[in-house]
Amino acid sequence: MFLADEARKKQDEGWLDKLLAGDHQAFAEFVEKYKEMVFLCCRTLGLREDEIEDAASETFMAAYKGISRYRGQAKLGTWLWRIAYRQGVNYLRKNRRGKQLLAEQDGQLADSKEQMPAAVVHSKEKEKIVWEAVGRLPRLWAVATVLFYREAKNIKEIAKIMRVRQNTVKTYLFRGRKRLKELLAEVVGESIDVGG
Amino acid sequence: MSVDKEKQFDEMLGRALRQHSEAVPADFTKRMLRQINSAEEQRILARVVLQERLSLVGCIVLGIIVLVVAMAFPDIAVSLTKQLMGSISKIDQGIEAFRYNWQFYTVFAGVFGFVVYSLVDLLVGDS
Repeated sequence: MFLADEARKKQDEGWLDKLLAGDHQAFAEFVEKYKEMVFLCCRTLGLREDEIEDAASETFMAAYKGISRYRGQAKLGTWLWRIAYRQGVNYLRKNRRGKQLLAEQDGQLADSKEQMPAAVVHSKEKEKIVWEAVGRLPRLWAVATVLFYREAKNIKEIAKIMRVRQNTVKTYLFRGRKRLKELLAEVVGESIDVGG
Repeated sequence: MSVDKEKQFDEMLGRALRQHSEAVPADFTKRMLRQINSAEEQRILARVVLQERLSLVGCIVLGIIVLVVAMAFPDIAVSLTKQLMGSISKIDQGIEAFRYNWQFYTVFAGVFGFVVYSLVDLLVGDS
């Protein structure tokens, strides 16, 4: 078991060296490994279907250009999340939807208060319902929630990715979670205290 | 009890979000690699174009310098030509001349070297 772990570690290190040296095959593996994550980031930021692929391509191009400067201070996934998040936000700004995002950042925008329609709740699997509820959150709350609950990033990593203070991340997570509980009250059962 | 429910909710949230799989076009990686190859070609092309331009600038600079020297310092130009012609048989005189005009020769050698490099690069550089 230990030997297998060591072998995998060495293999990963070799792959990373190739990646940093600009090896195309290693980069193809990198894209294959992280493409879903980048698409997820763009989607969570609220990019339209036709914009997601462009933003993802731009993210990987930026990663390709910047990979030689990667020093391993953050995990490769966190480093790429940071690029994807920046590209997604830039994309929104370019398309004049950045104001909404900035308003969210300043806490000016009230989120949607209506609950998930019962028909939606009953017609889908729990995973889809939860995802749909996340889609109803303000973008920044949604990104913080996905990073924390799905990607298992800690507050410090999320703050670095989103370029905000750690307290701001905590606020996003607290509000996002509270709102999700309200939205998902019917799915998780009335017994859960919605008050947060 | 309430803490348990909070924990339950967090677990449910984490599990549901982790289960979600993002739809990515099947040929995305291939297309990405094509884009990268194309960008790489563009970068190499841009570097070659820059080298060509530098070479061209070198040739033009040499021409201008030769003209300026010939017009501004005709004596030097004439003596230089004479010295160059007779330098094979009069190496000692050449060394003597170099001693008196070494600054000029140094600058000239630098410019000449740059131009030779530019010409070589222009003719046998990246294909």
